[in-house]
Amino acid sequence: MKTISLYVDKKTYLTGLHPFTKLFYVIAAITAPLIAGKLSGFFLMIGISLILLISGGLLRKALPLVVFTFTILLTIFLIQGLFYQNNVTPLLSLGQLVFYREGLLYAARIGLNILNMLFSFALFVLSTDPFIFVEELERAGLPKKAGYIIVSVFQIIPQMAAAKNTITDAQRSRGLETEGRLLTRARAFIPLLSPVVTSALINTRERSAALEIRGFEAKTRKTFLSERSFSRSDRLGFFLMLLLLSVAVLWRNFQ
Amino acid sequence: MTCLTFRNLKYRYPHQEKLALDSLSFTIKKGEFVGLIGANGAGKSTLCGAVMGLVPHFYKGAYGGKILLGGEDEDDAIEVAKTPIAELCRSVGLVFQNPFNQLSGARITVYEEIAFGLQNTGIVREEIRRRIEAVMELLDIVSLRDRNPFDLSGGQMQRVALASVLVMEPEILVLDEPTSQLDPAAGEEVFRAVETLKASGITIIMAEQKMEKLAAYCDRIILLHQGKIVDFDTPDQIFSRDDLSDYGICPPLSYLVAKKGAEKLDIYGWKPHSSRDSQDSRAAQDSRAARDSWFPAEIFAVRNLSFSYVPELPVLTDLCLDLDNRTTAIVGQNGAGKTTLVKLLKGLLSPVSGSIWYRKEDISGKTVAMLARDIGYVFQNPDDQIFKYHVLDEVMFGPLHIGMEEQLAKTRALEALETVGLTGLEEVNPYDLELHERKMVAVASVLAMDTAVLILDEPTIAQDYRGRETLKRLIRQLEGEGKAVLSILHDMDFVYDCFERVIVLAAGKVMGDAGGEVIFHNKELLKQAGLEQPTAVKLRNLRIK
Amino acid sequence: MKKIFYTRFNVAIIALIPTCIGINFLGKLLASALRLPLWLDSIGTCISAFLGGPIIGAICGAASNLIYGFTTGDNISLIYALTSMGIGIAVGIMSRLGFMETFLKMLLTACVAGLAAVVISTPLNVIFWGGTTGNVWGDALFAASQAAGMPVFLGSFLDELVVDVPDKLLTLIIVFIIIKGLPKKLTSLYTADDEIKSLD
Repeated sequence: MKTISLYVDKKTYLTGLHPFTKLFYVIAAITAPLIAGKLSGFFLMIGISLILLISGGLLRKALPLVVFTFTILLTIFLIQGLFYQNNVTPLLSLGQLVFYREGLLYAARIGLNILNMLFSFALFVLSTDPFIFVEELERAGLPKKAGYIIVSVFQIIPQMAAAKNTITDAQRSRGLETEGRLLTRARAFIPLLSPVVTSALINTRERSAALEIRGFEAKTRKTFLSERSFSRSDRLGFFLMLLLLSVAVLWRNFQ
Repeated sequence: MTCLTFRNLKYRYPHQEKLALDSLSFTIKKGEFVGLIGANGAGKSTLCGAVMGLVPHFYKGAYGGKILLGGEDEDDAIEVAKTPIAELCRSVGLVFQNPFNQLSGARITVYEEIAFGLQNTGIVREEIRRRIEAVMELLDIVSLRDRNPFDLSGGQMQRVALASVLVMEPEILVLDEPTSQLDPAAGEEVFRAVETLKASGITIIMAEQKMEKLAAYCDRIILLHQGKIVDFDTPDQIFSRDDLSDYGICPPLSYLVAKKGAEKLDIYGWKPHSSRDSQDSRAAQDSRAARDSWFPAEIFAVRNLSFSYVPELPVLTDLCLDLDNRTTAIVGQNGAGKTTLVKLLKGLLSPVSGSIWYRKEDISGKTVAMLARDIGYVFQNPDDQIFKYHVLDEVMFGPLHIGMEEQLAKTRALEALETVGLTGLEEVNPYDLELHERKMVAVASVLAMDTAVLILDEPTIAQDYRGRETLKRLIRQLEGEGKAVLSILHDMDFVYDCFERVIVLAAGKVMGDAGGEVIFHNKELLKQAGLEQPTAVKLRNLRIK
Repeated sequence: MKKIFYTRFNVAIIALIPTCIGINFLGKLLASALRLPLWLDSIGTCISAFLGGPIIGAICGAASNLIYGFTTGDNISLIYALTSMGIGIAVGIMSRLGFMETFLKMLLTACVAGLAAVVISTPLNVIFWGGTTGNVWGDALFAASQAAGMPVFLGSFLDELVVDVPDKLLTLIIVFIIIKGLPKKLTSLYTADDEIKSLD
């Protein structure tokens, strides 16, 4: 079965770490440069994320996740460089267009923040099995029903995407055009979407009956099939990240 | 020892006027195997849901009387309506028709899927592990342990569903037509599992359409009609009733033979479609001709057709076939390439190599929408197409889209609905109908397009005796109108009964192409293609011996 | 007030949420497959809000964004979970007030949902993207507004408005068509009285 999760089971030290350690890394990586308040802080953090991604063999998977923002980043540089409200110092001009220092700096701050967020998060999603993550959340007290919702989405989406293909065939068989002008394509939307949606909703009726039968509403505490605990490397990781955050606080107050 | 007691049970679904179950009273003993028969809509599923407590806890509505689990004495018995399902599921297990919707949807291996219920009810880990091993062993699914449950075949999936209910160690197991949405081979897998369970001595209630199976398994059978019990007796007594057809039941052939005698039943003269003389040799000639000649045949000519979804796995290889307007069944195991072939004929897929000619024209130059006027295709799952609020609008959608005038489309739609036996339901929301009726809506919606060719993918699945009779009439009618009917089928009894020509596909090749009489007596071929003999042929062979 | 926010957390509702999240994905997928110029990624959120009320709508919307982030590695879209929650709550409240009964009333619901989305998204756009949305038409408008010297907030508000309101209008029209076609045996799971009547 196709999966929509990005997790790659590389069996490296990264995949072996507890999901919470990696989640904490995302939080630390995003907040540290903001606390420090320096542009160089972003560079430093992005650098650390890149090193970690390379060491886990995940860089090639991570780049496409980040590259898609480049066009948006370019728009930001254009708009802010040209029109930022506090623009005073012209930096360079291309014909009639004048780019200002303030606007470009502001755009750089936004852009670096976004890249930093994306790289640290890529590290998390590429090295964490969502099913294990949810199980750990449940062990930490997330309600069983919330856990169920998250996990079943990972199964439902590929099923619905497959159903969409069959339905497209079935409707085309009855003479429905799915190509052509915008209006033709827009008209095809309901005949294509409605059967998937309605049958998926109807299936939930049986699915929920099936869950009832399997004791889903039982008030007893759920049994977990496996044990997983914080290893020494997890504790080391937490320590390093706390250290990082304290350095950021010091850096800010240093000046 | 009594295991289950119904006392004057009544039930009505929300927003409905009619009682779905009406004054049911009976008892079932521990270890009994009880069958549940009746036409679609008789109340079988509701009764199954009532034992499990889904009625009334889950479906709500109005409820009267009581069901007691355990003893007849109310003090030590569990009363279903007063016990939450989360507790009932330790005493009762229910398996329903569609295996797909029974999976939790939240587990990625078979092992974890089976564990789901035990985890919910807080069974300790060592006990969970022990029970899962035992149940996987019992149902022969050990090898599936690490597979994703959604990747399994229908038969495997249904056995996993059975395992995940059985692992809760219920005292009563309720099976609600567990094979009705499976093809016969998958159904056999499930029946073998049921036999294992019967031997284990657990109390079983099984709703089922396959009377042969019930006759073999059951200690007693409940005959249900419009929510009421007509009769509750041994299989011999039930199947000897004269009025069974009034309740939409066709008794097992063996009972018919025993009762009326073979002569009256006319087993020898049993008119399989193919027995008309000279058909067989004609079919054989045709398939030879297809290979030799390049002249396109009447309807379809398939020349050196090859197809694959991924280059490493060819689905069809170098296929040559001529199809005319004889009724033609395409049979073969799952994965033989049947659906792929008809999708190619319909233009939904394009050949990797080779060509397909429709009425002497190469279809590679035509779009699906163009072919829609000539070739109708009814998908296996009706829910892949239904999207209108009213049955009539749904049936009119196709005709209108191929440019039929509104008035004519309506006439055609009404005729088509009459043919499939849905007259009177024109204004109903299709999704308020049951699966077997929705399948008929899908058939009607393509029928109304009045195409020269009609392709049906597994029309008989989920149909009861009456539904199958309707389909038989439909096919004969189309044949009479000179239209070509092409159908993918797993149901060999139906093939033998209705189709002039049978094409056996295996691993993307035509292994046999002749009339049913020839195909179904060729034991070697049937074995190679993994097919069953039709019941009528089996019985006749028995008598000849 | 109590009635508007009344929420059941039974199994039927719990099983509904992942399906609706799937519908959100599918709408997005189909819109891009048919090359339609809108997102159409909140159809499921609106359906769940209609069937389960504002709180279920909010949960469905938030969960959609959170899980979407997981499948694209994009944690900035996590922040927009707030917007989706807003849409879910808006549609949930409006449907409980009866504003999904007729086509005209539904159009009002669509406007409310669109405005809720705009009001919540605008500050997020300003904080994370300096005001842009990533939609070509909206961003062109934003650039024009900035060139004309309008405040960032106003520009960004307009940017979001021209994208979100038409999107929500179309989304709710589709939702309206779908929910009118849902069979009673399904809707009764969410609307039937919890009490079981006695036939004795």
